Formats: sequence, C-alpha cells, structure tokens
Amino acid sequence: MMKILTVPPGVVARHGSKAWPLGLAGAGLLILGSLLSWSYDPQVLGDLSISFNPGGLQIMAIALALFAVILLLARKGPLTFLGQWADTAKGLNALATWTLLFMAMVVVAIAVEAGGLINVQPGCWVSLLGAVALFVASRLVVSRKTRDLAEALLPGWAEILVIVVIMAALLFGTAYALNVADGWVLLLFLVFATAMAIGGTRAGLMSWLGHVSLRRRRELILASFAVAFCFPLTQGGSDANMSIAAQVLVFAAAAMGLNIVVGLAGLLDLGYIAFLGAGAYVGATLSTSGFATIGWKPPFIVVILVAACFSGMLGLIIGTPTLRVNGDYLAIVTLGFGEIFRLTMFNLDGNNGPDLTHGPNGIPAIPDLIFGNFNFGDTHYLLGIPLSRFSNYYFLLLILLAFVIMVFHRLNTSRIGRGWVAIREDEKAAEAMGVNVFGLKLLAFASGAFLAGMAGAIKAHVDVSVTPDQYVFLESAFLLAAIVLGGMGTIVGVLLGAVILKLLPEKLRFFADYRLMLFGLLLVLMMRFRPEGLVASRRRQLEFHEEDEELAVRVEGDIAEEVQG
Amino acid sequence: MDTFIQQLVNGLSLGSLYALIAVGYTVVYGILQLINFAHGEVFMIGAFGALTTSLVLFNGNTALWTLPVMIIGAVIASVVTAVLMERFAYRPLRHAPRLAPLITAIGISVFLQELVRLNYNQVPFTNWNPFNLPDAKSLIPFPEIDVVTGPAFQVGGVTIQREAIFTIGALLVCSVLLWWFINHTKMGHGMQAVSQDQDTARLMGIDVDRVIVVAFAVGAALAGVAGVAQGLQNHNIDFHMGFLAGLKAFIAAVLGGIGNVAGAVVGGLVLGVVEAMATQYIPGQFGGSPWKDVWAFILLILVLVFRPQGLLGEKVADRA
Repeated sequence: MMKILTVPPGVVARHGSKAWPLGLAGAGLLILGSLLSWSYDPQVLGDLSISFNPGGLQIMAIALALFAVILLLARKGPLTFLGQWADTAKGLNALATWTLLFMAMVVVAIAVEAGGLINVQPGCWVSLLGAVALFVASRLVVSRKTRDLAEALLPGWAEILVIVVIMAALLFGTAYALNVADGWVLLLFLVFATAMAIGGTRAGLMSWLGHVSLRRRRELILASFAVAFCFPLTQGGSDANMSIAAQVLVFAAAAMGLNIVVGLAGLLDLGYIAFLGAGAYVGATLSTSGFATIGWKPPFIVVILVAACFSGMLGLIIGTPTLRVNGDYLAIVTLGFGEIFRLTMFNLDGNNGPDLTHGPNGIPAIPDLIFGNFNFGDTHYLLGIPLSRFSNYYFLLLILLAFVIMVFHRLNTSRIGRGWVAIREDEKAAEAMGVNVFGLKLLAFASGAFLAGMAGAIKAHVDVSVTPDQYVFLESAFLLAAIVLGGMGTIVGVLLGAVILKLLPEKLRFFADYRLMLFGLLLVLMMRFRPEGLVASRRRQLEFHEEDEELAVRVEGDIAEEVQG
Repeated sequence: MDTFIQQLVNGLSLGSLYALIAVGYTVVYGILQLINFAHGEVFMIGAFGALTTSLVLFNGNTALWTLPVMIIGAVIASVVTAVLMERFAYRPLRHAPRLAPLITAIGISVFLQELVRLNYNQVPFTNWNPFNLPDAKSLIPFPEIDVVTGPAFQVGGVTIQREAIFTIGALLVCSVLLWWFINHTKMGHGMQAVSQDQDTARLMGIDVDRVIVVAFAVGAALAGVAGVAQGLQNHNIDFHMGFLAGLKAFIAAVLGGIGNVAGAVVGGLVLGVVEAMATQYIPGQFGGSPWKDVWAFILLILVLVFRPQGLLGEKVADRA
C-alpha cells in the first residue's frame, strides 16, 4: 500500500510546509464530524444518529484523530520531545491510510445497511473529508532522522504503567469485540485496531515496547496472564463467548505445541492434529463416560499424563523412521500419518477391528471434570460474578497454555533451541559442528506431540464428545496457518494467529460460506507478501530476507541487548 | 487363481489412474524440487472441465464421439489452472525457503476446492448460472459415455470393466506420447537438461521459465485425462476427489522414485496392485476396503525408510 501511494518528491518539496496545518485541520474535521450525527437510521451500526452523543464507531474515529494530533504535535509543537524518538512521518502515513479506509468503510456500511447513500448524514461526510485531508497531509510529511529507541528510557514505574495501560486496552478491546453482534461493527473495529497498531508500529512505538519488554519481561508476563485471567469476569456469566474462548485456547495451545516442531526445529508436520486427537481419544476412553471402552478409570491427573505419553510415543514411532529422510518427505509422511490416525479411529468400531472407538459415532457423553469438590460443570461465583462451565475450563486451559508457553520458551532459549536454529538454517553445517541433528529433531517432534496430547485430553472434556471427523487434515492446515499467519517461532505471533483464525470465523458469520476460500487465499498471499508472519522475530525475518543488510545489523543489535539483559 | 487375476486387473486399473496423476508430481519435482501439493486439485478441475464440456456443448449426449472433446475440455481446464498457479503462486517464491511453497500449495488446494464447491453453479457473489450447471456441493453424476461404460466383459472367470480398459488404455497412450515428447522433441530435451542442472541449462540458452511452465502443463494434461477416467470409473465426481487421489498419486511417485517419469508410472501400477491385493489377501478384520488407504500410507512409510530413492530412482543428494 505504501509504495502505490507515494507522491513525487518535487510535490513534497513544494507543499511540504502545508502538511502540518492541513493535517491538524483534517484531524479537527474528523473529530467535529464524529461529534455530529452520522446516519438518519438509529438501527444502523449501533446508534450513530444523535449529535454530541458519539456512538462506538464515532469514539473510534475520535481516537484515531487524537492519535494523529499527537503525532503531528510531535513534529512541531508542545510534544517535540517525542519527535526525536518517533518516526512521525511513517506513523502518520500508515495511520492516515487506515483512517481513510475506516471512514470509507463506514460510508459503505451505512449505505449498504440502511439502503442508499441518502442515509449518510452530513456529520459522516465531514469526518470523511477530515480523513481525506489527513491522508493528503500525511503524504506530504517527510521522515526525519530519529535516535536509537534502545536509549529511550523512562522511569521504572512509567514503563510498568505503559504495560498495564496497553494490557488493559487489550482486555477491554477483546471484550468489546466479542460482544459486538453486528458483523460490520466488528469489521470496522478491526480496521480501527489495525490502524492504531500499524500507526504505532510505524512510528516506532512497537520497537520501543520491544525494548521495554526486554527490560521488563517479568512484569509483562505477569500482566498478560492477569489480563487473560480477568477476561471471564468481563463476560458476566455468559457462556456464548466463553465457549469460543475455550476453543481458542485449545487451538492456541495446540498451535504453540506445533510451533515447537515447525517454528523452532523447522520440521513441517502436516498431521499434527492426530496427536491432539490421540490425546482426546485417550482422555475419552479413560473417562467415566458410559461409552468408554476401557475399564480403567484413573484420576484426571493420571489420564492427562497417560494421554501425553501416548501421544509422545506416537510421535516417537512416527518420527524415528521419517526424521531420517528430509524436509518435503516428512511433510507428506506426517500427512499420511494424520490420515492413518483418522481412518484407524474411524475403523475400530467392532466390525473392521476391535471395538475401541465406536468408529464414526465416536465416544459421546464425556462427563465434566471434578477436582475434589470443584465440578467444572457447575456455575461458581467469584466476587459475585458468575463463572459458568466454559469459564471453568477456560481457567484450566489457561494454565495449560501457560505451561506450553513456558516449555516453548525454555526450550527456545536453551542449548537445545540454539541447536534447532542451527538445524533449521543449515542442517549439514549443524551436523558438522557436532549438533546431534537426529536426536534434536526427534526431541522436537516428541515434545510437540506430548503437549498436544495434554491439550487433547482436556479438549475431550470441553467438547463432551470425541469423533474422528474432528481430526481431519484441514484442522492440521488451520494450526499450521495460525503459525504462519502469526509468525513462526514467536509466542505473541502464534497466539495472535490462533485468536484471529479461530475467532474471526465465529464472529464473521456472514462470511460463513466463503471463509475457507478466503483462508486459502490468505495463506497464498501471506507467503507471497509477508512470509515471516504478522509478528516476526527479527532473526526469522532475516531468514526470509537474506539480502537486507540493514536488518542484519539490527538483528545483531538485538542479540547484543538480549545478552546484556 | 481367478480371484488373483481379478484383483490384478482391478489393481492395474486403479494403478493406471494413480500413475497418470503421479507423472504430474514427478515432472515438476524433477525440475523444481517442489512438491506441487495442489496437483490433486488440478486433477479434480480436469474432471469438472470434462463434465462442463459435456453439459454445455452436448447437453448430456453420451455418444462416443463426444469423449475426445470432453478429454480436450478436461485438459484445457487443468492446464490453465496449473499454468496460472505456477505463474501467480509458485514463480514469485522460487528462491524462498522451502516451507513457503509448501504452505502456498496447501492454500491453493483449499482455495480451488472451495472455488469449485461454491462457484461451480454460480458466478462469484451472484446467483447467475448462465449454463445451468449443477450444484457442486454434493456428488455430481458424470456422463456415462457409450462403449467405454456399460456391461463388463467376462474373460474366463474374470470380470473386466469397460472403464478399466479405458483407463489402462489412456495410460498406455499417454505414456507413449510422454516418452516421445521427452526424448524426441526440443522442449523435452530442454526439460531433461533443466532437471539435471538448471544453471548450466540456462547458460546453454534454454528458457528455464518456459520449461517450468511446460512441466506444469504436461503434468496437468495427464491429470486432466485422469480426471475423465476417474469420472467414468466412479460414475460421479465431487469437489473433494482431488485430496485422496492426489495423496495416493504422491505415494506412487515416491514409490517409483520421485523425479523419475518411468518410476511414476511403475509406482502407480505397483501401488494400485498392492492396494487391491491387500483388500483381498490380508486376513481378519484388518483386511477389507476400510483399511486399504491405511495400507497405502504404511507402504509409503516403509518405502521412505528402506528405499527412500524409490524403486527406479537413483540415490540423490539431500533435497532439504
């Protein structure tokens, strides 16, 4: 987008001085318009029809404008101290482009939903005009040289405050997005969130946050989990969103396990869902369900370990022969293994083999977990806020996810993780340096399978029933897509990818028919234009853009900082 | 003995189908070292191309003379798909890490399946269906062409389906044409040269990009023929038919030695026969057709462990 919309340098030189006032005027218009009424029809996009009582979307527009004002004032005005750190021109560029998209989509949405452009009120046109002015102004500003953000230090309490504020914004943003029933509003909210995030990233906010998070790792992790734990409290006991959230967590935990295999060790596993399925089947057959086929009913803590070990064993069995052959073959063999697993579960119905899984019917009626007196099926109260069945599982899954992330992180930063990087980048060189290539690959494969088995055992109870058709190839592809979309080998990226891929299809029901098609297209486009994913670790980015010298220098800087910190 | 020959015939006809598809994998792999995962979808689109030709041009007429036209329709549909795929998805990734094209292939695969499923009987985002095509969300009956379908022949105690004869015949004809193309045309020599050493071939004045496009097109043409054969054998087609067939064909290509065209044909036939025999001769509950796909995958794993270069392949350097 950036490349198409650049202005010739001559124009910038001649009109550059007008950018600042034009931008401020644009932002002002945007705010003014947002205070007025946007549409005649109060039914459309929440209520946007009352002047001086901005609705949700209008507040978003005002927030975008205020962000633009801050960036402008950082160029010239009271906030110039920010300007020496932040690349305001790039930030404005991205922010204004997305703001324009946001306003254009608002106009389209009102026209489509209320039946014609006639329903768009002057306020909306004023805002759109403001967005256009801001956009033009943003094309005329030029980047200045900025100082290295690693030197931008704030007092400790202020850095922690920034982390808390951002985390709170995340929490309330997610809660808001989940409670939006209207597809258009959700879509616009996503555009808004993207605008803020990209504007911030381009201005350097994200790289500053990166430096802060390196310094304040512990506080950041604590804050993230605090936010995740608070999430069910914002739902007021409603199960609708919590069931989605529980699914997202299962998916995220599985994706994080696969991330060890694909992201760290660079082994493409296309049958990973089978390990989740193996865990789920173990969890189901050892549960107290009346349809379970094995008589042994150990406590859940034993079941989850058995499930994990069983999956891990499968990983070893499938990994030992195939990890000796290379790359592409592994992808196909794992895909074949995934199919073998599904077909086997499908066939073990008593007619075509021993009756272990009830074939296509699967094992239904898996009871809720009970830990001591705590029944996961009941509604419990915390501070008077009801926490229903899915909220209980949500907490359990959150602990699991935390465990998976911890394993991932520990492995990644250990000697093993460095071995994996070496294997990924050049297997022969790694072997020559004395890295135990086969052992490390097998370890990645087995630990990924082990974690998936744990997740599967819990998933069986969350889903109540286990059937073979939950574990088709497409699910493996989705897991892989979450990793690719978010950024291979990163934690934040894969979590983001998992949330996007699981949440959007649930909420964007009006795309229901086309969502798989869009998913396929998305994979192709990602590989073409941003193969390193949304959140790329710099080192990873370098693997995809080897000729980028500047990036290489920055990666070295990062590694130096990591070592110091 | 009759059962054995019967299963051999069944296996050969199934295997011919695998072989036709497997050639597409092997030709592309030989030149680019790329597993074109979406090749199964090319096969599926070939079948739909044939169906569309029959419905639009002949309005369901099943005379034998329509068959060549249907095959041409199938080949055009699959070749266009494969060439577009190469141009817009794979070519930009030619120097990307190996993971990228594989993931792209999965994306293309899902995209093409959904495109056919949702849009076969309507222009995207409308309800307009100019040729009155059927809904592709479920199985669609494939035209039963005279002569090549119909009552089976009895030879001794062995039943030979007419469709099986067509499929085996199609493989024979295609193999001869392919052999002639590779060994006796300039482009064929070019393909051999590029698969041996891309850079040297380029220095010798071979247009490598064109050779790659031709490789995709040749594989797609054979997949298109296979699509017709599959339609005739099963009497119906659906949007999901490419997934399993593509996987099996890939197994066949690996079995024969990936990158080796003759190997793909042999591998396909061997895989077909093994599947048929497994169905017949593995005793107890684990025999029978529900398990035949499992045996095919186990065969793949065994080949990779004990003879990764395949039946006819030569020992190759690491491709990872």
